[in-house]
Order: sequence, then structure tokens, then C-alpha cells
Amino acid sequence: MPPKPVPKTKPKRGIFHKFKGNLEAIIVGVKYFFDPERFTLVYPKEYTKLREGYRGFIVLIKDKCIHCASCARICPASAMKMIRIPQKDPKTGKTKMVMWPVINYQRCIFCGMCVDVCPTEALYHVPYHDVVYENLAEMDIDLESFTKPPEYKTAKEGIPVRYVIDEEKGLVKVPYKEGEEK
Amino acid sequence: MSARISGISGKVGFNDLKQLPGFWTRKLGKDLYEVFIGPQHPGSGHMRIIIRVDGDVIVEADPDMGYVHRTMEKLGEGREWIKGIPLYERMAIHDACNVTLPYVEAVEKLLGIEPPLRAKYLRVLLCEINRIAAFLYGFGIFGVFVGHSTMYMWPFGDREVWVELADWLTGARLTHSYPIFGGVRRDAPEGFTDSLRKAIRYMRKRLEEYRKIYVDNPVIRARLEDVGVIPRNLAIELGITGPNLRASGVEYDVRYNAPYEVYDELDFEIPVFQEGDSLARVWQRVEEIKQSLHILEQVADWLDKHKGEQIMHDRFWKTAPPLYKKVFQETGRVKLVPVFALLKVPKGKAYARAETARGEISYYVESNGANKPYRVRIVSASARNAIVFKYILPGHRVMDLPTIYGSIDYFPPEGDR
Repeated sequence: MPPKPVPKTKPKRGIFHKFKGNLEAIIVGVKYFFDPERFTLVYPKEYTKLREGYRGFIVLIKDKCIHCASCARICPASAMKMIRIPQKDPKTGKTKMVMWPVINYQRCIFCGMCVDVCPTEALYHVPYHDVVYENLAEMDIDLESFTKPPEYKTAKEGIPVRYVIDEEKGLVKVPYKEGEEK
Repeated sequence: MSARISGISGKVGFNDLKQLPGFWTRKLGKDLYEVFIGPQHPGSGHMRIIIRVDGDVIVEADPDMGYVHRTMEKLGEGREWIKGIPLYERMAIHDACNVTLPYVEAVEKLLGIEPPLRAKYLRVLLCEINRIAAFLYGFGIFGVFVGHSTMYMWPFGDREVWVELADWLTGARLTHSYPIFGGVRRDAPEGFTDSLRKAIRYMRKRLEEYRKIYVDNPVIRARLEDVGVIPRNLAIELGITGPNLRASGVEYDVRYNAPYEVYDELDFEIPVFQEGDSLARVWQRVEEIKQSLHILEQVADWLDKHKGEQIMHDRFWKTAPPLYKKVFQETGRVKLVPVFALLKVPKGKAYARAETARGEISYYVESNGANKPYRVRIVSASARNAIVFKYILPGHRVMDLPTIYGSIDYFPPEGDR
């Protein structure tokens, strides 16, 4: 069924529109004065436990990487780079240069294309985004730290909460329990 | 200055430069003042409106845009095809899916592929979620313009519902990068449609409350009614677009005039108001949110009926290894084949357009067969709407300026590109 244009008009002004309009506005205002909808996050006393699939910081699983450089090639912000590291081949015993991906979080836009393009699922997102770096140079991650999830420094002592969509209240903040996926 | 500017012959001096838009100055008469509104003014956003006032009445207005110009078109020429998607998103990040969709469609036309039906429905789903969120963002800004703090807080709070839904669907709150050549990047997660239905019912209830506290409030109505009237013929002459055009009585919506994706299969109305004043433009947006909610309901029903269908075109999915299919089964995430990074698009030209929250956006894409676009031309909705200020501000009082600015819903980053 295709869409169709429908002419509409603004609601007409009645005789008592001023009285009625003011009264309606005040009633709605008073209603929310006594029963407000609030979902302010008191950070860092509480923090959002983001859903699985959130495009947060990226971690490399070293064993799965096949050094194909697909992630570096697709990165739209040139945040992912391949570096060459001399490595000993266990079979032949010879030292050769091997390419590994590293990431620069100064440039990363968290589009997640590197994770999606990786043919062996060697990259994954951690579902959090509040990580603090003390200086800019620290954001240029080396291979060693790229293989570990970044340390969650800011809201360690907070309570994890999750926002759930509710029919009456819009968004409702509920405490998150471990292992509960909703 | 030796640069040659069209319309002015010979060597260009400073006095000629003054004739250019944005440089207009002239001898001001008695009681005639020049007021610069923006670009640092909190109300105007990243743009400047130069107005000349006689007492309190605006006699001349000159919209001066370009403060957030980021050379989107030129940047796109230096990147591979797929990297354009996260780039063009930056024009209007709270309307990301609508803004990038025509680019994806144009490239798909060049590649000669069409996404599967479920992918089309998922695109429409995110487009409408984005549209509602963008309208609510506009309401919030409009509310604070006319000094209604409640209307500033409420839409921004309710927008969070839609941002949360988009986050759940795509993995990012605003910069989704969701549509991709041949399909979409993720399937709707388990339980998503139920939450969507809850959000739809909640939003319907809230729109009624918006009406009571804001749109039909006599105080607000007195400030908006018959202010900033764009007559039907002027709207067509200036070439404005989107809800502003429809509020002036023109039946024009890309979803209706040139349906894309699955909009021709969905049942919804294109609301058209006749008055063309600020209040009509607000009502226009309220009605359009209602229609978007109606579309979302139909999309949710369709998605529930067709679970587990393919969401990526065969060209990129048939050759995918078993791991890719396993990941899709388990997480709903479409893994991209590495060919995406260096995708070569056949030689040719393509044009595509879509209806964003602020109007029509069109992309002209030209390829010379390389792995980067030869040319991407973008005409965004806000760029076309900005001219309105020049023609409808004169004659109004200064206090009407925020009302008109807010009701036009101009978004500078999108206009400047």
C-alpha cells in the first residue's frame, strides 16, 4: 500500500481556548512535578552496563591473527596500522618480520569495521567505553596492550545499571545482575 | 585580490567583495542598526545571521553559513568507497542512517546489486528511529529558543529512548554506520521488536502531553501563530524542502514521490499543512512523528514474521566462509568479506536521494572504475533551507527571530557539509 498525502489543519481556537489551554498545561506540569520521570545516571557511583554487541574498545586475540592486514586496510580513520616485529619461526629457527595490527585511539571512531572484516574473528569489542588515558601518547596502543582489554579505571566502585524501555516511563534504570541478559 | 568572481568583471577590489553574500555591509541610516547574531551565539548554532534593524523591526537579513564546512565531497574522493559511509555520517550524526542511505543506494546502483528484503526493512527501521530522534532534537532546541525549558528537557529525555534503541540495534548511539553496500551490518537482536512497540506506545502518550504543555499552550501559540509565514509559491521558488515545504501546502516527500527501499509497500500518510507559519511547522513535525511511529509498527510486525532471513546480498555472502555464517547465526552480526576494503566499483554515474528529517538529501556519485570515487556531490536539506531566513525574516521583530530559526530546524553541520 503506497503512502498518500493527507491535508491537515492546525486545531481551531475555541472560545475558551486560552482558559482550556492554560489549564491543560498546568495540569500536565503539576502531574510531572509530583511524579517526575528521571533517569539521570549518577556517574561514577553507578555506570551503565552496556549490551553485548556495543562497539567499545577493541582487543586482539593474538593466536587467531593471520597477519592479513584487512583490518588496517578497511579502517576509515587510519587508526589501525600494521607494524613489523621480528619473530622466530619455530620450524626453521630463522628470524623473520611478522606484521601485527596495532591501534591508535586518538584516531579511532569505533565504527567496528575492523572487527567485522577480520576473517578469523581475531578482534572483538569490549562492551564499555569509559577508559581514561593520562596522556595522548598512551592512546597509541602497542601490541602488548592491544591483546589485553583496557583497564576500566573510572567507575570501578560503581553499581552497574542498565536502561530498559518501559511503556509508562520511557526509560527505566534497573540494577544489572551478572549473567542476566535483557 | 586577483581572484575572479562571476558577475564582477576585471580586478576585484575590497568594495566589490562587499557585494558577495556574507560580506554585505552598507551605510546605515538613522535608527538603522546592524546586529550580528552568531556564530558564537548559543541560539544560532554554527552560523551567523546578520540583521539590520530599524528600532525593533528587521528590515534586512543575511544568513551567513559555512563556519563548519569540512570539505566532505573532497575528502570522499581520497578514500575507498566503504570509508565514505562513516565520513558522510558526520554531516548529521543524529540522523546518520538517513544521511548515508542515498550514498549506499547510489553505489549499489553502480554495482548492480539490490539488498535482500529484510535488509531493506531494517534500513527503514533505523531511518524512522533516526527521524523521530532528529525531530525530538529539533523540538528541544526550539523549546529553549522560545524560553520553554520544559520543552528543552522533555524531548531530549525522550530522544534517549530512540537513541537507546538505535544503540541496541547497531552498537553505537549516534554514528551507526549501519547500511552497507548490499545490506546492513546487523540483524535486529532478540526482544528488540517488543521494546520497540513499548517505545511506540510511550511516544504516542508523550506526544499528547507535548501538545498540552507546548504546542497548544496559549503562551506558545501566541508567539508562533502567523509568525514567519512562508507562502506556497515562495516555498516552491526558494526550493526549500522537507517538513518546512510540506507545512506550506506542497505535497512533496521523497518517500512518496520517488519511493526508495520499501516505503511504497508501507501504509502511511504524508501530512500537509496549508498555513506555512511557525506553528504549522511544529504541527507538521508532530504529525510526521505519528506517521513514523505508524511505519515502525508495520516494520516490527514484518520483522517478526520473517526471522532469520539473509540480510546481505549474495555477491558478498555466497562466498563467505562457514565462520561468517556461524557468527551471523549466533550474534546477528554480518561479517564483511575482505573485498570490501578495496572494492572496485564499475565505471558509471548514479544518483540517489532520500528524505531525511530536515528534507531531501541527494547524492550524485561518479566512478571511473577505481577503488575510490571520482566524484561525490551532496546536496543536503539544510543547505537548501538556509535561504529562507533572507526572505521571511524582514518585517518581523527581533523577538520572532528565535521562533523562526527554531521552527525552520536549520542544522549547520549538515548545511555546510
